[in-house]
Amino acid sequence: MLKIVSVLSLLLSFSAFSQQADNTKKGTVTGTVYFKNGIPVAEATVFTQKPIKHVYTNAKGFFTLPDLPYGNHTIAIKYYGKEIEKVTILVDKKNTKIKHTLSYNEDNELNEVLVSGKTKETEIETQGFAVNVVKTEEASIRNIQTNELLNTTVGVKIRQNGGLGSDVSYSLNGLSGSAVRIFIDGIPSSMYGSSFNLNSIPPSMIKNIEVYKGVVPGHLADDALGGAINIVLHNDAKTNLNASVSYGSFNTLQASVNGLYRFNDTGFTVKTSLFHNYSDNDYKVSGRSVVVTGLGGVQTPITARRFNDAYRSTGGMLQIGYTDVKWADQFFVGVTGSDDYKEVQHGAFMTITPYKDRFLESNALLANLTYQKKDLFTKGLDVTVNGIYGKRNRTVNDTVSWAYSWNGERAIDFRGDEYQYTWRSQQEGGPTLAAINRKVGSIRTGVSYAFNNNHKILANHVYSGIDREDSDELRSVLENTFKGTRDLHKNIFALSYELSAIENKLKTSAFGKLYQQKTVNVDPEIVEDENGNAVVVDEIISSNKKFTGYGFAASYAFSPNFTLLTSAEKAIRLPNETEVFGNDGDNVVANPSINPEQSNNYNLGFRFGALSIKKHKFTIGANLFTRNIKDRIGLPIETSLNIDDELILYVNQGSGTSKGIDAQLNYTFNNNFNLNFNASRFSLNIENNGVEIAVPNTPFFTMNGNIRYSFKNVIQQKSRLNLFYTMYFTDEFSYLPPQGKNTVGDEFFKVPTQLVQDFGLSYAFPNKKLVASFDIKNIFDEPVYDNLSVQKPGRAFYLKLNYSIHKF
Amino acid sequence: MKRNLIHIKSFAVAFATLGLLASCSSDDNGGDTPTTPEQPTEGRWITVAAAKMGDNPGDGNGGTLIYSLTSEDAKDPTVSIAPFDNGFIVPSNRTARLQSSEDGSTMFNISYAGDTGGNYTKYTVEGGQNFTKTGTEVSIAPYVGTAPRWIKLFDGDKTGSAVYVSTEHQFDDNGTPDDATDDTYLRTEATMGVVTLDLENSAIKNFEESSIPLTAEEEAQGYYISRIDMPTLNAAGDKLYIGARLSKVDPATAESDSDYEILGSKTIVLDYPSLTNPTVITSTVGHGNTNGYRSINAFLYNGSVYQANQSDPNGSHILKIDANNEYDNTYDFNLDDALGVEGAYILAWRPAANGKAVVAYRHNGSEEGISGRGQSFFALVDLNAKTATTITEIPYELDFELFQYQGFVVDGDDIYLTQAPVGKNGNIYVVNTLTGEVTKGAELVNTTGSHFIGAF
Repeated sequence: MLKIVSVLSLLLSFSAFSQQADNTKKGTVTGTVYFKNGIPVAEATVFTQKPIKHVYTNAKGFFTLPDLPYGNHTIAIKYYGKEIEKVTILVDKKNTKIKHTLSYNEDNELNEVLVSGKTKETEIETQGFAVNVVKTEEASIRNIQTNELLNTTVGVKIRQNGGLGSDVSYSLNGLSGSAVRIFIDGIPSSMYGSSFNLNSIPPSMIKNIEVYKGVVPGHLADDALGGAINIVLHNDAKTNLNASVSYGSFNTLQASVNGLYRFNDTGFTVKTSLFHNYSDNDYKVSGRSVVVTGLGGVQTPITARRFNDAYRSTGGMLQIGYTDVKWADQFFVGVTGSDDYKEVQHGAFMTITPYKDRFLESNALLANLTYQKKDLFTKGLDVTVNGIYGKRNRTVNDTVSWAYSWNGERAIDFRGDEYQYTWRSQQEGGPTLAAINRKVGSIRTGVSYAFNNNHKILANHVYSGIDREDSDELRSVLENTFKGTRDLHKNIFALSYELSAIENKLKTSAFGKLYQQKTVNVDPEIVEDENGNAVVVDEIISSNKKFTGYGFAASYAFSPNFTLLTSAEKAIRLPNETEVFGNDGDNVVANPSINPEQSNNYNLGFRFGALSIKKHKFTIGANLFTRNIKDRIGLPIETSLNIDDELILYVNQGSGTSKGIDAQLNYTFNNNFNLNFNASRFSLNIENNGVEIAVPNTPFFTMNGNIRYSFKNVIQQKSRLNLFYTMYFTDEFSYLPPQGKNTVGDEFFKVPTQLVQDFGLSYAFPNKKLVASFDIKNIFDEPVYDNLSVQKPGRAFYLKLNYSIHKF
Repeated sequence: MKRNLIHIKSFAVAFATLGLLASCSSDDNGGDTPTTPEQPTEGRWITVAAAKMGDNPGDGNGGTLIYSLTSEDAKDPTVSIAPFDNGFIVPSNRTARLQSSEDGSTMFNISYAGDTGGNYTKYTVEGGQNFTKTGTEVSIAPYVGTAPRWIKLFDGDKTGSAVYVSTEHQFDDNGTPDDATDDTYLRTEATMGVVTLDLENSAIKNFEESSIPLTAEEEAQGYYISRIDMPTLNAAGDKLYIGARLSKVDPATAESDSDYEILGSKTIVLDYPSLTNPTVITSTVGHGNTNGYRSINAFLYNGSVYQANQSDPNGSHILKIDANNEYDNTYDFNLDDALGVEGAYILAWRPAANGKAVVAYRHNGSEEGISGRGQSFFALVDLNAKTATTITEIPYELDFELFQYQGFVVDGDDIYLTQAPVGKNGNIYVVNTLTGEVTKGAELVNTTGSHFIGAF
């Protein structure tokens, strides 16, 4: 029989109950730890004091404590952020088996979520990878975008060109752009397109977000040079319903519904998620380019509201299938659909010529398939399959030739007349109704086999393919006909071996990856046939390349409170279709022999805690990293030889280095006060032709902090009120590389130091089903910029109501 | 600490020295072109422009810095200046295209690309890093975009002009809009926008848009004007010449062509100041583009406009447009012949009032240095005699290249230029165009991967 013994804090804990016994005889205790709901507990610490031993449970909740002298032992079980539970057993034979069920669940009840927040680390974070697991539970109740949540993660910097729905770039430890790959349940998010991405998917649809920095495990197979962000959608199989609606500044409305119903007798399950986001994004902007021009071109600075920046996205997912049945833990087929509309107020910079009626539309309709089964055919064999297939489309619409002013009205020229741009569109380059239609398919398969509790082998494969066709209604049929089509097929295989040894204190994972990319370019051409007639034939150029990469991650727990983590990878980024085939519009020609970018990435970090002293609890962690990039892909310098040519091609040039440190601290007091703080600092240099220079336009130093305080029984009994404060700090950075010591005029290029502070509160009603949240973003109405002079929203207010039912 | 080079005393010395130099040089005057020495401007500022490295050595994308010194100091090899440490960073996201007033007392800039691309600013030159902004804000971006191609006209620093061209391919769908098989390419419509800017009062003077067709035959082959630049006033001040680059599509597919026949060099001629009534004139002497790159490409001398061309299959020519606004095809000045090289390419040039000019060039034999561009040279050119001689007093080396070179100072018969290999120190040089005498001037302290783009 098992019994839960009284709870003490970790340091004070442990009065040994072991009694004198025959020291010559020793036995092994093996056991399994479960949460209250029966789910095995991974990464729980299991320890005895006499003799001092500690081990961790594996993914199945299993642990082994060898060499215990015969006699009574108290076995203590500790799970992250939770109190210790103890079990007393008698060891009187060689093998003693126990089962222990904890008094709590991993998935907290609503009120518990509010208390525990992100303090809980998971199994993933101690595998050795430089990884952060971002919990979305709290954000889903508050008025917080998924991107905002990611931005508070250490080592991650989000740079956005405006309000809700605007272009976002992700940077992980200084590497950005195509060096960072984003996944949705392990499927590259490029498959879904821009209508189903981190801008549109509400946090309530997401279980958590894994951010892997520099070293990416085999199961996330893609050519991620600098790291990967994996959005894990909800995958539990419990009947629930959750609905929320939020409204606030700039006419921003966000609504979402998530539901799952499981017929317990058959396992038949229906799962659905719907979201809708809308914002006018008509926030106020000012600055050197926000002017109205009058006669002769005289400029008058104004404070303007953005007038062509609205965003709407609507989408959802419907899946039907079976859960927790004999032949599958999860089997779903379904459909994902999304549609978005985004007005474009300006290009990369805010200039004196704001755009009117330029907009982008995109949509995606994809069939999806999910299959998961643990212990298929034989114990230890796990299989996961995720796949999508469908279409996604994108159009750019820019046909208005009249010039508009920042006041939202037609602009006048120097003579006082309304005028049209010479280029007859808002963005220079001419009117466009360009459409890109893509057929996409991606399937991800993972098979793992655990030989025993210490050895596991994993094989993963991801195929992704894009068939792309471009057209522009404003161009002639002839021009459209002679525009090429491009196909891109990627196969990435990964083989990993996981070892846990020394009583689960040492965990290692070694992996190799094989990247294969096939690109096919079909370009119609006119040639003469035998009879001298001009005929159209397809000129097909294809390139098929294979590359390999490898890496490892290791962690060692010196004590339950101190773990050392290290990881390394030889990562690559395959050249994209433009880099391989060029781009007719930009006079870039094909370079089928281009090599991928490569980077040797290293992480070394530690995690200390949770250290509890009375009611205080601390966790600290830090990671040192370097990224050594080779064969960077870029366009060569302009010379008198290529300035008029159509001969420019992407080439491998130069190298680069990013070095830095991420650090984070978590502090909890009495379970109702919580503080999180993190800081990230790095240097990023590139080298070309032997000359090294610091990369400009990069925020090198960022800090984030948040504080939460929780009150019980405010206004009503059994209610809970939480207060939140969040701050984001970004150090000054310049659009230009570092200049001399004594120059003047530098300030023109600087993005000033920024400190943004948000405040929020949430109130959980006593029935635990209804939660109301109120948030103020940017309380002090600071001008905020992620990019030089592109102003982001000022102070904003949002109110949100959540309703959820976990049991019917 | 930085050196302060501004002293009242040095002004006085400067005047005296310059006067002396000018009077001495008259004795050496003896070529076939009888010219009397021009007097240098007293106490002229020489503003040196430097372009810092961005990603690549020599790309100049890391900021454009300017620093001024007196002409006396500029001529003094014991003076050393470090614009990269002590200069003023010109507000322009990419390499600024700078202009100066004829007397060097004012710098004009139109910001290139970025949020303020197209903004016009002028600065009073006060020595060293001191440039005081004057005048109100005005932008030409609404007319010619945020990356404008502009230069100052030679009308006494009154006017600047910028140009823009947009193109659209035109087709005949044979009455069947959905069937591509019978579609035919007709021509490419090129629309030109020209703006004139009042440099004194910081205001837009005029803007006109017009179509710039080629001949029906040229258009049928797929030729069109794809880039224009370098507006220049004629002697009468009633016509503006604009340099042009041609591109070509394959009429069968409407896709860009390469390896096609290079047509005779073309220039757009339009009425000034109305900016209307454009026509295109064609040279039979030179082939290739006349739109230059970043430095002024055509100058008025002796009643005619002399224009350099680039990417000429026979090597760059200096072409002549006469007062009748037509190419003078009897004037054949080929740099290949004059210099005895192959594939001469004029990167920048500037004549003095006496018809002698300094030309920055590279040629097919130029080897590539650290920036990946061909080694460059300076030559002294005589527009009348049609001769060119490489200036051997200036040191050349592999990493010395002048692709982005923009500025020469003409002060009387003297032409000031900057010389520094990418990433290495160099000097100001002063070429007396009359005597051919070359004076090594102030040292230019360089920084990694960076270069100097001229004197103003």
